[in-house]
Amino acid sequence: MSVTRRTVLQGAALAALVSQVPVTRAFAQDKVIRFAMPQDFTRIYTFVTSEYSQGQRDYISLVNGRGGINGYTILADVSDHGNDMPRAIEAYERAKAEGAVLIDPLSTPVARALVPRVLEDKINLITAFSGRSDAADGSVFPYVLPLTPNYWTQAGLLIDFFRQQDGDLKGKTICFVHIDTPFGKEPLPILEKLAEKEGFKLQAFPYTPPGNDQSAIWPQVRRARPDWVMFWGAAVGQTVALTEAIRNGLPMDRVSSSVWISESDMEVVGKADTKGVLKVEPCASGRDPQIIQDILKEVVDAGKGAGPKEKVGTSYYNYGVMLAALMVEGVRMAFEKNPNGPINGEWMNAGLRSITNFDAGGFIPPTTVTPEDHQGGGKARIARWDGEKFVPATDWYSANQDVVWEEVRKYSAQFKATGK
Amino acid sequence: MFYRRAGISHTRYQDERQIWPLPLDRFLVAAVFVLLLAAPFLVDRLYLVSYLVPWVIWSTAALGLNLLMGGAGQIHLGYGAVIAIGAYGSVHLVRAGVPFEIAMIAGGLLSAGIGIVFGAAALRVKGLYLAMATLAMQYIVDFVIIQFPAISGGTQATLQVPPVTFFGIPVTGDVAPYYVALFVCVVVTLFMLNVKRTSFGRALAAVREKDYAAAIIGVSTFRFKMLAFWVSSFIGGVVGSVLAVCYYRAISPDQFHLDLSIQLVAMVIVGGLGSVLGSFFGVALILFAPIVLNQVIGFLATELGLAISMDLRSHLPLVLYGILIIGFLLWEPLGLSKIYNNARNYFLVWPFRHARH
Repeated sequence: MSVTRRTVLQGAALAALVSQVPVTRAFAQDKVIRFAMPQDFTRIYTFVTSEYSQGQRDYISLVNGRGGINGYTILADVSDHGNDMPRAIEAYERAKAEGAVLIDPLSTPVARALVPRVLEDKINLITAFSGRSDAADGSVFPYVLPLTPNYWTQAGLLIDFFRQQDGDLKGKTICFVHIDTPFGKEPLPILEKLAEKEGFKLQAFPYTPPGNDQSAIWPQVRRARPDWVMFWGAAVGQTVALTEAIRNGLPMDRVSSSVWISESDMEVVGKADTKGVLKVEPCASGRDPQIIQDILKEVVDAGKGAGPKEKVGTSYYNYGVMLAALMVEGVRMAFEKNPNGPINGEWMNAGLRSITNFDAGGFIPPTTVTPEDHQGGGKARIARWDGEKFVPATDWYSANQDVVWEEVRKYSAQFKATGK
Repeated sequence: MFYRRAGISHTRYQDERQIWPLPLDRFLVAAVFVLLLAAPFLVDRLYLVSYLVPWVIWSTAALGLNLLMGGAGQIHLGYGAVIAIGAYGSVHLVRAGVPFEIAMIAGGLLSAGIGIVFGAAALRVKGLYLAMATLAMQYIVDFVIIQFPAISGGTQATLQVPPVTFFGIPVTGDVAPYYVALFVCVVVTLFMLNVKRTSFGRALAAVREKDYAAAIIGVSTFRFKMLAFWVSSFIGGVVGSVLAVCYYRAISPDQFHLDLSIQLVAMVIVGGLGSVLGSFFGVALILFAPIVLNQVIGFLATELGLAISMDLRSHLPLVLYGILIIGFLLWEPLGLSKIYNNARNYFLVWPFRHARH
């Protein structure tokens, strides 16, 4: 018996060793630009990640299928970090060893934990719809790139939309229902400032994470007789919030959320019951945009799709396409700036920070990233659920950026003073 | 054969009582220690930074928890919170300009001070009820950290760790943090190796086996349960500050949730309750099995061209990991250290199988 145990132990040790071998071997091929995409497929974001990642990979397949950029193909190194810090840090360090030019962890906790490392190592950390909002300040966070409207901007956009609808927010009541975590509380300072500026009454209702029971909160929201409701959460909390809003008879066309609400959530709650719900849309949804049509034709129908075809064109899929498009545009700009490389994080950074008026054929709002503004201009639009799909209620626009940037600078200055 | 016992005769009591009476054991320990010391020059940076550093830090934490669980028989489901208190306490102190050495000890004292309050529950409740009481600690600490921006660090809820020095050496780069973590780990390991041989350790063992029997033979269960919580929380707090400074470099509340506590309990149980060596084994398995399995599956998928979806690719390692844990517990409930001991016992008398006891 002991002998077999020993054999098994040796076998396990051998397996562990063997698994380590390919690491150093993998980056021998040239003409490849490596994107590291360790994301959370198994713990919290699950279906969000798989749709997002599918979009990213499909877009990268599209680009590679057309011959890549300057003869270079893009290698998307997708893995699972399960939102677990040691695993994420391992994935990051591995990506660094393999020569990745950017890393996209799609997770706020992971992004926060990686900030000190990327600033030191000069590898681009993409924190789309996640991570620190104050990373919009590129002068303090040169290697942290949200590339998309942060939560402060999203809240600012919603408030501005309400103002457009009502003409004036003076004396109105806006209820902010949020998950009681740092992420959920993030928009509060902006909302408080705007409440002062616009003269509306802000009422915040925190619910305990993960938010699968919010029944105590929503009757209070109803009693507050809100003119507008914003709910701020992620994953299961979002569908529960919608269900409770319906149950408490709140007018659906006055209920809104951030970018984190999708067709899948509507399906869970009931497509017809949620008619009228508003969301912040960072890119076009559906299959109509040219870029999605191209993917369908050249990637999915060619049998090279990264996942099920029916997911193509869903909100999160399109977010993935959007981010991949921005990253690839960064590569293109990097070649424009320094055609001869060397291809590394700094090279990529120069490219990402000179993206100018890129709109992916109307698929995303015109985005300009500068060394100061990593948010890309803070443009998005408000979309309304019509029972079948999200229909844009506004054009691409940006609002309340002065308040947002005041806050961004306040926190980035704090970071600068104490960090490093 | 390998572990030669023939010809070793102890002529003094000290020799008989040493931690490793057999030369081979001493040799192995020394060899491992030298390897660990030389690791920054032997292994690739990647393995140093993302394997050895967390392994050393988590092992220290597992040792601290093992004192409580294996030593005193008290379960603790809030050890992550204990670590969080130490981490936040010491990082705030470091940011206020206190030297890291002092902040580390202060973080430990803070954890010990708060931990003992919850440990007091251990005086009244046992077993599952104690598990609930410590679980409450986890949630209360989580809640407090998140609700007070002054603690968590504002809306972004992240505290950056400023550059620090440890006895004059700047803790920056890849190598220095590793040595700091290793130093703390060695100190805690030495303490744990010796604690069982002290009156304190024996009193804990008495409390663990049956607390009222311990009381009858004159061991104050009140005192020793409190002491066990105090010492273990102190180690947890120190680990928290090491974790923040040497590994995370920026701390946020989600790094210390219940997941961490459960992970640590799993490490202690899988490694072997009460075993020092087991703590190291348990940490290695729980921390790295998911990573290694992920790479094996990923490697197989890409190299062999297996058309498996990303979802399956990321969930399969979890399935295997679960099987692995259950397998180890079914096959050897006493933990990985027992497996090592079995192998060692086998070699003690090899090749004379019949001489085995």
